[in-house]
Amino acid sequence: MEFAVVGKRIPRHDAVSHVTGRTLYGVDIVRPRMLHARILRSPHAHARIVAVDVSRASRLPGVCAITAADVPCNRYGFTHVDQPVLADDRVRHRGDAVAAVAAPTPERADEALQAIKVEYEPLPAIFDPIAALGPDAPRVHGDTNVAARVNIRYGDIERGWQESHEIIEETFRTQMVEHCHLEPHAALAELDSRGVLTVHASVQRPFLIAADLSKILGLPMNRIRVIAAAVGGGFGGKNEITMEPIVCLLALKAGRPVKAVYSREEEFQATTVRHPYIITCRTGLKREGALVARQVSILSDTGAYVSWGAWTLSKASIHAAGPYNIPHVKTEGVLVYTNNCVGGAMRGFGVPQVAFAYESHTDTLAEAVGLDPVEFRLKNMMKDGCVLPTGQVLDKVTLQQTVVRAVGLARPEEDRTP
Amino acid sequence: MKRRGRGIACMLYPVGATSYPNPGSAFVKVNPDGTAVVFAGATDVGQGSTTVLAQIAAEALGVEFAAITMVTADTEHTPYDFGSVASRVTYVVGNAVRQAAHQAKQVFLAAAAEVLKLDVSGLDSAAGWVYAKGFPERRLPVAEAAARAYALSGRPPLGASTFNAATTFLDPETGHGKPYPCYVFATQIAEVEVDTETGEVVVVSIAAAHDCGRAVNPLLVEGQIEGGIAQGLGYGLLEEMVLEEGKVKNDQLVDYVIPTMCDMPEMRLAIVEEPEPTGPYGAKGIGEPSLLPTAPAILNAIYDAVGVRIRELPATPGKILAALQDMRVPSERGPS
Repeated sequence: MEFAVVGKRIPRHDAVSHVTGRTLYGVDIVRPRMLHARILRSPHAHARIVAVDVSRASRLPGVCAITAADVPCNRYGFTHVDQPVLADDRVRHRGDAVAAVAAPTPERADEALQAIKVEYEPLPAIFDPIAALGPDAPRVHGDTNVAARVNIRYGDIERGWQESHEIIEETFRTQMVEHCHLEPHAALAELDSRGVLTVHASVQRPFLIAADLSKILGLPMNRIRVIAAAVGGGFGGKNEITMEPIVCLLALKAGRPVKAVYSREEEFQATTVRHPYIITCRTGLKREGALVARQVSILSDTGAYVSWGAWTLSKASIHAAGPYNIPHVKTEGVLVYTNNCVGGAMRGFGVPQVAFAYESHTDTLAEAVGLDPVEFRLKNMMKDGCVLPTGQVLDKVTLQQTVVRAVGLARPEEDRTP
Repeated sequence: MKRRGRGIACMLYPVGATSYPNPGSAFVKVNPDGTAVVFAGATDVGQGSTTVLAQIAAEALGVEFAAITMVTADTEHTPYDFGSVASRVTYVVGNAVRQAAHQAKQVFLAAAAEVLKLDVSGLDSAAGWVYAKGFPERRLPVAEAAARAYALSGRPPLGASTFNAATTFLDPETGHGKPYPCYVFATQIAEVEVDTETGEVVVVSIAAAHDCGRAVNPLLVEGQIEGGIAQGLGYGLLEEMVLEEGKVKNDQLVDYVIPTMCDMPEMRLAIVEEPEPTGPYGAKGIGEPSLLPTAPAILNAIYDAVGVRIRELPATPGKILAALQDMRVPSERGPS
């Protein structure tokens, strides 16, 4: 079927305004009489908050300050409602916000932050996800550091081991990385002439932000409007609220528009990151190279809060065995709290970690049975009708075509014919 | 000495989700001059989704691309969307836009039917014209049909729709269910050059073949693949947050290095188009998957070049040199 517009190489509708600097990103939006917000963060990875005193900061000319006491509902989260807007009982990582100020100039706001006094009682902290599972490890929330478990079983793994001629196990580790979107998180809150609290924010999910703001601020949804204008990159890093409730509370308290922009340091320390994983792949295969069984265990460090950690672990676990036809699969995922940076959504949502593991492992397996990596993959890869470990049957499986095309592109001197 | 190697990596990745509801929605209004405004909650985070949704709307209405204006990502002025996540916008919101546009189109087709003296079921529209199917000489500009819908029929052409792929929640015990509506597949092959004296890796080329269903805009699909390769290269070779007692030590882009244009390899791209019956015009998605095979393809290429298997990301020169030295001095270490 021939289409008139679909399938055409049309330049982005916003290309000209982007490259000529006319696009207004979240960081570009300003208002007359606007105040600048700054956030005070924890100097401790884990500590009890004894007292927060913003009285001296509040006395500075034009300065408005808030603490946890100003937040109507101070917990949010998707699967686990465990994260405060401003820390109250404890700080659980160094990115935790403890208080915030708004001032007529950024310099005055910095001065006001210095004037806030917080008394902490440091607590033992835990940074190693394996040690965090130990019986004596400091607890980040409640009485266990295990935040979630994901188990997926397909076939009969024990039978799979018995039917295998060779079993190979490897362990892989992935690192913590930041999204590094060029535009940092930014938000401006103002009351419009109708009394609707309007938030211009650099976010990927304005409707989720609006729903969370409604709960946190205790305002009906028709009094809140979130606009995500042009967003300078997100990659999953702008999937949840960050400073939006803070600028809203400050704007309501000060009666003026309030804007915040994160520094690059805050982006690293205080926003979500890609979870570091420890992944063990154990695979049984036949002498001639057919895959029979695979067990994958994943330990995911979610840091101080769950955020999207349980869902990323679920997506990682579902895809941990890779795009291969394996009759017996078992996946066990564990999500653990530590006092590290908070793991969240990032492009690939847990699957880049396991893809690194399963594809490195695939080459090891190919070598073990004396097959070329391409040949081994073609022999074992999923085809139409193959079943994922969740029982989902696949169709339109184009893996083989992608291999053939990639091989052709990688060796253009050898293969120029279509 | 500099040694070259090649590595391959494959992947599968889902588009959208069906283990939880994640609807997308759209309103469409056609103006009396045949231009149209599409209201959709989806956020363009730089991937170009607003352009793709405008293309889908133009195709569905049968008008030129330039006739579409998009209003997006405003919780007061646009209908609900779950968000720009899960590589779902083209598939989910694209379906909602297509359906809403189809509704609006039925209104101006009905107005045109009166002029053309034909039954509405025999009409379609493309490139700004309403025409008789199989007899395109009998036609009327969309602008005239739309103007007539307002001024004579008293019925402005509007549409409103939501799309949500059927949800099946997962069994908590076995993990079984159908968590995703459809899948895309890809293969990347990396060629690297490893300096055995310094451990430094240069990625010479990446061949990338990606299935995205129908490519609504091949230019933007290629942009996504190139961006994914850049991010995957950073993940495989460069990026790592270093924490000390929970404090990020490299919290500046001078210490935490992401790839620049200078690090980018020659990229040879192929789009494998396998239209998905449930997607808008067969489209699925490309956002997240483009990154997945890059790091493992590079690390497999390093192994092919120098026989070193790095099992901890990123594959820094330090790790590669240490592994090369371990190979030269026979050690007690096992394979993992």
